[in-house]
Amino acid sequence: MWGSLLRRGARGAGGLRGVASGGPPWSQVVSEAEKIVGYPTSFMSLRCLLSDELSNIAMQVRKLVGTKHPLLDTARQRSLAEITELIHTAFLVHRGIVNIGELKSCDGPLKDMQFGNKMAVLSGDFLLANACTSLAQLQNTKVVELISSAIGDLVQGIYYENSKSSEENCLTDDIGISTWKEQVFLSHSALLAKSCQAAMELAKHSAEIQDMAFQYGKHMSMSHKLHSDLQPFVKESSSDTVAFSLNSAPAVLHQEFLGREAWIKQIKEAQGKGNIMDYKKLQEAIKAGKGVTSAIDLCRCHGSRALAALERFPPSEARAALANIVYAVTRFP
Amino acid sequence: MSHLCSCSKTASDEKYQDPFQLGRKDLKNLYEDIKKELLVSTVELKEMCDYYFDGKGKAFRPMIVVLMARACNIHHNNSREVQASQRSVAIIAEMIHTASLVHDDVIDDANSRRGKMTVNQIWGERKAVLAGDFILSAASLALARIGNTTIISVLTQVIEDLVRGEFLQLGSKENENERFAHYLEKTFKKTASLIANSCKAVSILGCPDPKVHEIAYQYGKNVGIAFQLIDDVLDFTSCADHLGKPAAADLKLGLATGPVLFACRQFPEMNAMIMRRFSKPGDVERARKYVLQSDGVQQTTYLAQRYCHEATREISKLRPSPEREALIQLTEMVLMRDK
Repeated sequence: MWGSLLRRGARGAGGLRGVASGGPPWSQVVSEAEKIVGYPTSFMSLRCLLSDELSNIAMQVRKLVGTKHPLLDTARQRSLAEITELIHTAFLVHRGIVNIGELKSCDGPLKDMQFGNKMAVLSGDFLLANACTSLAQLQNTKVVELISSAIGDLVQGIYYENSKSSEENCLTDDIGISTWKEQVFLSHSALLAKSCQAAMELAKHSAEIQDMAFQYGKHMSMSHKLHSDLQPFVKESSSDTVAFSLNSAPAVLHQEFLGREAWIKQIKEAQGKGNIMDYKKLQEAIKAGKGVTSAIDLCRCHGSRALAALERFPPSEARAALANIVYAVTRFP
Repeated sequence: MSHLCSCSKTASDEKYQDPFQLGRKDLKNLYEDIKKELLVSTVELKEMCDYYFDGKGKAFRPMIVVLMARACNIHHNNSREVQASQRSVAIIAEMIHTASLVHDDVIDDANSRRGKMTVNQIWGERKAVLAGDFILSAASLALARIGNTTIISVLTQVIEDLVRGEFLQLGSKENENERFAHYLEKTFKKTASLIANSCKAVSILGCPDPKVHEIAYQYGKNVGIAFQLIDDVLDFTSCADHLGKPAAADLKLGLATGPVLFACRQFPEMNAMIMRRFSKPGDVERARKYVLQSDGVQQTTYLAQRYCHEATREISKLRPSPEREALIQLTEMVLMRDK
C-alpha cells in the first residue's frame, strides 16, 4: 500500500502539517488510504495464492508488456506491494516455530509440536517462494537486489529478537537506544523502507526520489514501532496492566537515564519474592522517570523526518494520505 | 551396464579425465566465496550459515554446473574459460541447495547429516529456520547481481519447485500408476529441477542457441532424477555409518520411494502400509524386508540407468570436449556411488 501511495504522488493538492498538531485515528487513515489505492490491502489468503485468480489477472496485464501503458507501472508496483506483504507474512509464520529441545510436558504431545513446526516452515517457505517468483516477474534486477537485502535484514532483526528472549538470568539487555534503533531498523523498518525505494525504482524515478521514499519508509516505521511500544505507558485505564517488553523503547530509554544497576534493582523489586513480575509496579517506575517522555519525543522526531521526506513529492491525495499515517502514529492522548 | 560403457566412449578422441579434476580449478575457492556472500554481523548466525560450507560436501552440483558451462562455451566458440557469471550460478545453486537442506532437516526432525549433527540439533529449530532463510536471501542477492533477468527467472523457478516438491511429498496417491508419476514429479521438483535449471542458466550465459539450452536442461534433469533414484536405493542397501545419515530414513518418514513402489507390485500387501505411511509399529521393518526380498532395488537402479543413458544421449549432441566427456562419465559415477 505504501508503495502504491508513493507512486501516486503526482496529482491533487494539500500541504503538510507538523506532527504535534495530532491527526485522525489509525483506522480512518487506513480506510482513506485504501480508497486512494483502490482495493483493500489486507493479507491475501493462501487459497487465493493457490488458485488461478491472481495469475488470470497477471496474464491480462502481461499483454501490456512492451507497451507504454501506465497501467503496467501500476500493476508492477501493486505486485511489489503484495510481494512485501508476502515476505512480512512469511516471517510472521516462521517466527511461530518452537524449539523442540525446550518443550515441556505441559506443551502437549511432541508430535503435535513437530507437525506444527513442519507446517510453519513449509507455509513460510511457500510464501517466500511466491515472493521470489513474483519478484523475478518484475524483470528488474535492482529491485530483486533491494528486496533480497531487505529479507537478509529482516532475518538478522528477528535473530536479535530471538536471542534476547533466550537469556536466562537477564530479562533485559544492556543496550542503549542507538543499538535498539539499529536492531529495530532491521526487524521493523528495512523491509518497508527498501520496498518503498523499490517502488520508485520500478517506475524509474531518480536516485533522489528513491532515497526520499526510503527515508519515509524508514522513519515512518520507526515511529510506528515507538508508538506501539508506548501504548502500555500512555493508556489512561489502569485496571488491567498489560505485560510489556522490557526491551521496548521506554524501558530501554529509562535504563539509559537511570543506569543499568538502578534499573536491575527496580526489576528485582518488581519481581518480588515469587519471581512473578509485577508489571504495574515496573510501569510506575518507568513512568516516574524520563523514559516515556523521551520515547514520545523520539517518536515525533522520526515522524517529522518522515514528513520532511514527503515534502520532496508534489502535493497529492496520496501524499496527504501518507502524511496522515505519520500523524496517526505520532498521536498520543 | 556394458552397453552404457560402450556408449560413453563415443566419437571423441579427447582423453578421459576425472570430472572432479577438471572442475577442480573453478571450484577451488567455491566454499570460501560462498562464505563471503554470507555477510552477517552476529557471530552465531554466521557460524550457523557457514556450517555446511565446510568443503566436506560432495560439491556434486557445482561441479556439474562448471563442467556444463565449459562444455557450452566450447560448443559456442571454443572457449574453455568459465565466465564469472557462470561461476556465480554454481555458487548460487549450492546456496539454494544448502538452504533447502537446513529447512528439510527441521521439517524431518533430522539429527545428523554428512556425518555431523544438523543445524537444528545444535542451535534449535527457530534459529535453524532463520539461517536457512538467510542463506536463501544471500543467494537471491547474488543472483540479482548477475544482472540478467532471464537467469533470475530460471533460478527462481528452482526455489518454487523445491517448496512444491515438499508439498507433493506430504500428499499421496491411492492408484499405483499415479503413485509412480507422483514420485517422479516429486523427484524432479525436489532434486532434478535445481540441476536442470542451473545447467540451463549457464548454457544461456555461454551460448545464444536455444537448442543448447534445452540440451543442458535435459542433461541436468535426467542426471538429477537418476541421482535421486540411486539415493533412494542407497537408503535400503547402505548402512548408516557409511551414508553419514541414518538409513531407512525414507520409510521412517512415511515415504514410499522407488524400491518400495516396485516391491509393491510383487507384494501387494504393502499397499496398506504405504497408505498409512508406515506408521504402525513394525511397518518400517516389514517394508524393508519386503523390499530386500523383491527386485525393487534392481528395478530402481535399472530405471536410473535409463535416465543416465538419456542424459548421455543429450549431452553427446554438443561439440566434443574433455568437459563433455566428463559429464558423460559423471552419469556413470552417479550409478556407481555408494554414499
